[in-house]
Amino acid sequence: MKKSNVLSEYGALFALILLFVINVVTRGGNFLQIENLRNMVSQNAAVGIIAVGMTLVIIAGGIDLSVGSLTAMCGAAAILIVNKFSTGGMSPNMAILMAALCAIGVGALAGLINGAIIAYGRVAAFVVTLGGLAGFRSIALVLGNGGEIRSQVPALQDFGFGGVAIPFVKDASGGPVLIYWSAITFIVIALLAGFILNKTRFGRYVIAVGANQRASEYSAINTQTVRLAVYTLLGGLVGLASVLVGARMNSVGTGSVGLYYELDAIAAVVIGGTSLRGGKGRIWGTVVGVLLLTLISNMITAYRIDTNWQGLVRGIVILVAVLIQRGRKEND
Amino acid sequence: MEFPAVRALDGVSIAFASGEVHGIVGENGAGKSTLMKILSGVQQATSGTMKLDGTPVLLHGVKDALRRGIAMIHQELNLIDELTVAENVFLGREITKGGLLNRAQMVSETEGFLKQVHAGFPATTKVKDLSIAGKQLVEIAKAVAVNASILIMDEPTAVLSDPEADSLFELIAKLKEQGTTVLYISHRLVEVCKICDRVTVLRDGTWVETMDAKKANPAELARLMVGRALQDFYPPKVPAPNGNPILEVKNIGGASLSVRPGEILGLAGLVGAGRTELAEAIIGTRPIGQGTVLIDGKPVRIHNTKQAMSHGIAYVSEDRKGLGLHTSLSVVHNVTMANLRAYGKAVISLQQERKSADTWKSDLDVRVGDLNAPVASMSGGNQQKVAIAKWLEIKPKVLILDEPTRGVDVGAKREMYNIIQRLAGEGMACIVISSELPEIIGLCHRTVVMREGKVMGELGSNELNEESIMHLAAGVEAA
Repeated sequence: MKKSNVLSEYGALFALILLFVINVVTRGGNFLQIENLRNMVSQNAAVGIIAVGMTLVIIAGGIDLSVGSLTAMCGAAAILIVNKFSTGGMSPNMAILMAALCAIGVGALAGLINGAIIAYGRVAAFVVTLGGLAGFRSIALVLGNGGEIRSQVPALQDFGFGGVAIPFVKDASGGPVLIYWSAITFIVIALLAGFILNKTRFGRYVIAVGANQRASEYSAINTQTVRLAVYTLLGGLVGLASVLVGARMNSVGTGSVGLYYELDAIAAVVIGGTSLRGGKGRIWGTVVGVLLLTLISNMITAYRIDTNWQGLVRGIVILVAVLIQRGRKEND
Repeated sequence: MEFPAVRALDGVSIAFASGEVHGIVGENGAGKSTLMKILSGVQQATSGTMKLDGTPVLLHGVKDALRRGIAMIHQELNLIDELTVAENVFLGREITKGGLLNRAQMVSETEGFLKQVHAGFPATTKVKDLSIAGKQLVEIAKAVAVNASILIMDEPTAVLSDPEADSLFELIAKLKEQGTTVLYISHRLVEVCKICDRVTVLRDGTWVETMDAKKANPAELARLMVGRALQDFYPPKVPAPNGNPILEVKNIGGASLSVRPGEILGLAGLVGAGRTELAEAIIGTRPIGQGTVLIDGKPVRIHNTKQAMSHGIAYVSEDRKGLGLHTSLSVVHNVTMANLRAYGKAVISLQQERKSADTWKSDLDVRVGDLNAPVASMSGGNQQKVAIAKWLEIKPKVLILDEPTRGVDVGAKREMYNIIQRLAGEGMACIVISSELPEIIGLCHRTVVMREGKVMGELGSNELNEESIMHLAAGVEAA
């Protein structure tokens, strides 16, 4: 492997390690403490879950700009359902489960509609999902009367802050350190997606369709179904993510939840080394991309840099990632 | 992954006289295109010199070549469809007045050039509204507009009808009278002998002979191009089978044919005769119209590649990069792409996949170091073997090979022929679409000749020769 290939293959990982090293040198490595690491994974778990789904969409040669608005729409639906069912006498946990399933269903349905218009209607994904970006947000605002929808079920936030205790680790006051359900979900989803992409027939078809759609058609692959499926899958994951966001905040601000998620998710995918041209990509890269973006924003806060700079730093990171990728293209 | 660079041209020296029409012939891969690329500034030679009017020149790109009066007309024409003829002719050197485009001037000058090339359309026509022949005239007008003294034409008649070709020949004669040197590349030996003053034969990247075209004849040129008698180049044919056809095609856009198990059926015709379209109709990627397809005598309905596969029909496309292969993916992934279900309904067995790719690698002698390397890094011949392996994976009963040796070097060609004979020997019905007549003759038991989407006739093994095929394909006396 050539030197430049190593850089483009593992560049994001090197950058992540570099930031940790900087932290070790300047602050004695407080970011590496278990609790902080735990926070880092949980913090952007929702975006992470969406980014994982986005990776599949982008590998299949597509893009989805509607995920942020869809998060708000599904989240709003979830909270409304939780409230409705629990006042209807259902047990809180049952109501949460129902709400989660409904949110996933609504998300998957929205993804299915996106995918159907893209695959069967032959409209550019960019345009279709740009429509979704506007439309889903609008539906969310209608559901919330333009404002916040609060959960009346305390168990929802208990779930948001619940999780599994890390063995042998105690916090400052001697209590257990939990890995939140959101982080666990993120990790499980990422592992599952990695398995699907690399080990299953569907995953191979996703790569094939993104690499060369016409050659895939000639290989008797149903390319429309594959594209429909990746958008539907992403929609379902957005629904799942929206429940985690809503549980954490115990509410969904229909105008604010999910803002710029599409940008963060696409940025993480690109930083992780997945090609925007499609046909090439990896899930672990996206996970590293999400962690890298989280770490950057955490460092900006911790080092008391004016947070207004955050956007510029992210922009530069994304550009550098793409430039390195282009270098790899020429090496092929 | 790298493969050793192939020397496309080796020690070729040719002198082109001013004002002559010089034919250049050779098989695919003989080095014609490379030579033309060097002469037109697209590519630089790694060694050797080029003299223009006796002075050594070094061409820095196409623009430099144009400035020195060398213009090339490519097979795939380089025009911008959405622009008008005049805009195309003046593309990159627009006439301006006070910083603004001077349309009137450009249009009137273009009208003049169009008149010189006998074009019957105005300079304000959009290029997309022109026929292929019209587009070609625009290309020639472009060359006239820059006062080109050397005009290189790459297979200009491949896409033309006979009357169109005839008027092109008249134009070439006229340009010659005006002192333009024309380098004329063509596969059509008859027309080369007819319109050229001298002919150069290239083979395997080397110069073979330059001769007076009036003294040359197509058979002689063909012999020089191939370099050995056809019998030596093509492996012995497996015996032609009798018995019932496995595949019958009836009246797809006026084309009918049948092929038996173990038979190699040629599908000959000029470029654009509708052979690929027929193949695509058979495998269901194109509407079949009023036609019917019968497998083992029973009519079947095929609307997509999947159904074609389930009936045992596989199609190896002529367009390897676009349709045949996923060039950015690995050899392993390509080989199993059409048959992935066999490696697991949901979860794929990666070991089995790998094993199968290994088997194909040794079976078809695919020369690749790393089976995980992208197919794009391999030579044309090896890519073609991967494409064939991909379709043999589904164990087809009928294999349609579309231009199986296009872009493949001479050595790999022979291997390809061996593979096809072997498959036929094993009882597979093979349909070979080829524009190379020697290939059709050397390989096939029987040949169907197409023209404008229709079958013009069928030739048995003993009637197969270049004359008989060309006669049907072009409707003219030929080689």
